[in-house]
Amino acid sequence: MKNNKTSPLKTPLKDLTPEDLKSLEKPLGTSDRPYPMWGSQRVEHNGRADLEQVLSVIADDTYPMKVFSDRPYKEVVAMAYADMPVPSMLPLFFDGLERRKPTSTNRTQMMIGDPGAGKSFLGALQGRLRSKEPIEVLDCGGKNMRELLFEMVLDFGAGDALPKAIDKRLQAGSLESLSASLLRGLPSEVLSLDEDGQVKSIDWNGLKSAGSDKVEAAFEVLKKVSKIEGLDNAGGNALGMNSQYGPLIRKFMAGEEIVLDEYNKSREGTDDNLQTVWQFCIGELKECTVENPLKNKDASAGPSEFTFRREDMKPGFFVTLTGNKKEDGITTRSLNKSVYSRLSPQTLPDPDIIDWQHRICQMMVGLPVSTLYTAFKEQADKDPEAFGDWLLNLRKTKAEIEGGRVPELQETLLKNWKNVVNSSEKLAKFYDKWQQMTDAEKITSNGHADLVEEVDDEYSKKEGIDFRKIKQHLEEAIPIRPRMQKEDAPRIVNFGSWEKAPKLSDPVEENPSLNFGTRLTEFLERMVYEKSGAVGKNKLYNKLNKSMQEFALRDITLQEAARSKQRSVEEDLNISSFNDRDLSKQAIMARKVFCDFLRQTNPEITASDDEIVTPKKFLDALTHVSQKDTAATNELFVTNRDPEQVFAGRPIAGAVIKDTAVYALQNKDLDFTLKDLVHHDDFIASLALPTVGAKNLSAVWEQNIRPLTKGAANDSAAPAAAPAASGSILDHDEALFIAEGKSDKKIATTSVQVLYSDDEGDRPVTVHIVRNEARNKTLVVSEKAPSKLLAAFKEAGVTHVDRHDANAEAKVEAALTELTRGMQASIKDRLVDAFKYRNDVDVEHLKGKTPTLPQLLTDDKVDMMYAKFVVKKAANGM
Amino acid sequence: MALMSTVKLEEVAAEVAQQKAMERGPLFLPHGCRLFQVTSGWEANMIRHDKGVVSCETLLELEAGLQDPGAKVLFIPLNAIIVDKDVEKLCQRNGVAKTLFKEVKGTT
Repeated sequence: MKNNKTSPLKTPLKDLTPEDLKSLEKPLGTSDRPYPMWGSQRVEHNGRADLEQVLSVIADDTYPMKVFSDRPYKEVVAMAYADMPVPSMLPLFFDGLERRKPTSTNRTQMMIGDPGAGKSFLGALQGRLRSKEPIEVLDCGGKNMRELLFEMVLDFGAGDALPKAIDKRLQAGSLESLSASLLRGLPSEVLSLDEDGQVKSIDWNGLKSAGSDKVEAAFEVLKKVSKIEGLDNAGGNALGMNSQYGPLIRKFMAGEEIVLDEYNKSREGTDDNLQTVWQFCIGELKECTVENPLKNKDASAGPSEFTFRREDMKPGFFVTLTGNKKEDGITTRSLNKSVYSRLSPQTLPDPDIIDWQHRICQMMVGLPVSTLYTAFKEQADKDPEAFGDWLLNLRKTKAEIEGGRVPELQETLLKNWKNVVNSSEKLAKFYDKWQQMTDAEKITSNGHADLVEEVDDEYSKKEGIDFRKIKQHLEEAIPIRPRMQKEDAPRIVNFGSWEKAPKLSDPVEENPSLNFGTRLTEFLERMVYEKSGAVGKNKLYNKLNKSMQEFALRDITLQEAARSKQRSVEEDLNISSFNDRDLSKQAIMARKVFCDFLRQTNPEITASDDEIVTPKKFLDALTHVSQKDTAATNELFVTNRDPEQVFAGRPIAGAVIKDTAVYALQNKDLDFTLKDLVHHDDFIASLALPTVGAKNLSAVWEQNIRPLTKGAANDSAAPAAAPAASGSILDHDEALFIAEGKSDKKIATTSVQVLYSDDEGDRPVTVHIVRNEARNKTLVVSEKAPSKLLAAFKEAGVTHVDRHDANAEAKVEAALTELTRGMQASIKDRLVDAFKYRNDVDVEHLKGKTPTLPQLLTDDKVDMMYAKFVVKKAANGM
Repeated sequence: MALMSTVKLEEVAAEVAQQKAMERGPLFLPHGCRLFQVTSGWEANMIRHDKGVVSCETLLELEAGLQDPGAKVLFIPLNAIIVDKDVEKLCQRNGVAKTLFKEVKGTT
């Protein structure tokens, strides 16, 4: 019974009780739910108060803003925060809410602005905040506005039987060819054609009220089609024409909202008899009667007149009118003075950087994170986790309302909301500049007069930047697509067997956020070129390129000094799920990697993840690892595949790097054997685990060369450093810093040895590691890795290369190029020097040659001298 | 108990299918509607048969779905006589935010 009750929004105000009205009231902008607001305020600077536009909040328990809504409060507040209009449109949003109060006599709002500014979105949003029902958005372009009151419509009879029957035949391809040909004569705006020019679909609802002339023509066409198809005799396939109340009257009667979109593109002279209706809608008249000019036309039935009466007004009735700025095109007309005077259109300001940023955030994560952060900065900085949780809860509620789930990419970005704020600010500044450079109207006054020859009105119309462009760019950047390799990346084509289908490596699924920043910024670079350089607008191209650098879109454009101070958009938006601040989430991810790895390397284990190790035990293990400070002691953590220990809840074991150079210096025998070494797979698996990998990559670096070499000066028995590094080792020796992981370039390399077992038996093998700490990217060259680790390597920023792979050298070179991008070319020589501290390159086949680092890293004849072994700690030595 | 597990399994599978489709990114439609492509096969089947999902093969059905407050997720099957331009037009004139999935051939 409750569901059948008419909503108070649809009940005449005179029939509503105070309780009914109270039930609709949803406050917005209270002391503990402040709502952002944009407006003019006096701001003091050195004792002088200047009028400025500022972002603040409404937070008033006595006089908050109010949404009169059928929706539950939770939905209203989530939608109001998530779908919030851009800051410069917030005052219009505020006015819109005021005019929607049940007691308001002005039930209209007219907004004039640039295309794509979000006018119809704002109108419909206010309606959606109030009701779960859709808000009719009527495109007035080219239409006769008299039909807002009375319209001639096609009548398909009960249940739209004729359209449904035609749709069925269209779908089955069983329509007579003559019918198909006739249907192509329907108004083009209601038809979609397939690639062969055949009718694919018909927008019947659009056709029903396409306007008197079109309806009459369509009626004749459909009568013929109905006869050809033999549908004219079938029951229910009645076809007729009638005049009926137009949308404005229907909405008034129903107590619903309507958006009259592009009102100033409607047919000239057709809105003259609407003037008294507008006077009624804005509260100037208490009553107005309109007559139906279509009554009795062609013997059609229908109402003869309608009277709008204030006493019949329902709280849900509202009309939003939108219009494009006059200069947007020739179809936009200037409205007559009486319309302007009655509807008092509000003109939208040009978007500011804060608006661009707001909209970018909404597109990226479904929430205006930047505006919410600016409004609640102090609290967000103080408690970033609570702020992040609040954002995620708002986003989840919005997803519930819209029926979907929060996409994984958005969830990851929201958990890293600071990255979103940082990157969106840079993107906003870039888009703002791009917009200015492509705005022909203002180009002579906005500092880009030098582009006047390249940017004309036509180019502005076609390629000018507006909010819709951001939408298009993000649509392109979100999906993972094939990516063009760097121009200098090595490439190999198999000239033989070219006719056979290629052998693909195992697919490694990528988390969508892992390279989102790279995809977005690469796409922007492509767009910048396509829209300027490629079409001969070289000055514009150069300026846009400079802007991309100025606002640090790409990682590689940052100079080394700048890199330490700011992060690029690319870097901020490339987010590994391993970076989740929540250790319990890391534990869930690590456990999955570990269990998959365990089952792959030991097929006898078929137990589920929960049976292998509980989330709690894995969390305990990660907590222990995260609390240890191991960088100075070369202590590591590796996966523990001993079934007894794993099932006892110890998936991670301790290990330590033992340096044979130290044993040699101290003249000591080794106190470990081959069986004490950590297995290759356990060591590299550790690099694929969140927390554990990061910890190990801080603890593998060289500790001993510097003290040993100092000692060597007094001890002729001490081991000598490799030839390339021989001579005095000074603190400024870049290669040594690189080996120690202390280079200010944030690049490092080292080698360790681990146990490997295959058909040739057990033996130590070398694992080479090259790391760029600033970019959190690591290259590991060793033996073949279990395939279950590959996806996790990607997430951890690790590129693993099997040194026996036919393309190993090329793969290593590609990875090194990426790791050293933006650095001086000599850095690769220093890496070779660092490599030589521990690896003996004085081997027969390299004599007289100058091998490159990729050649050395993949050469299995290059052995370690004074190897550093990764040795297991005692079982309880974790 | 067995029935409960099957239902739960189907719910989880539908969620996984939705997430996989969402990974490919949306087509942003008017008023906050989002259209995701979903590959024919198990993903499409799981979404189509998920509770509360309304399948729409014609524009009349799609518009009815958009206007039905109870239908939050709309599914457009491969054999539908609906093109993307139609979807955009219908979303524009029915100011409502819903999630749409469109079945497409092969891999996306």
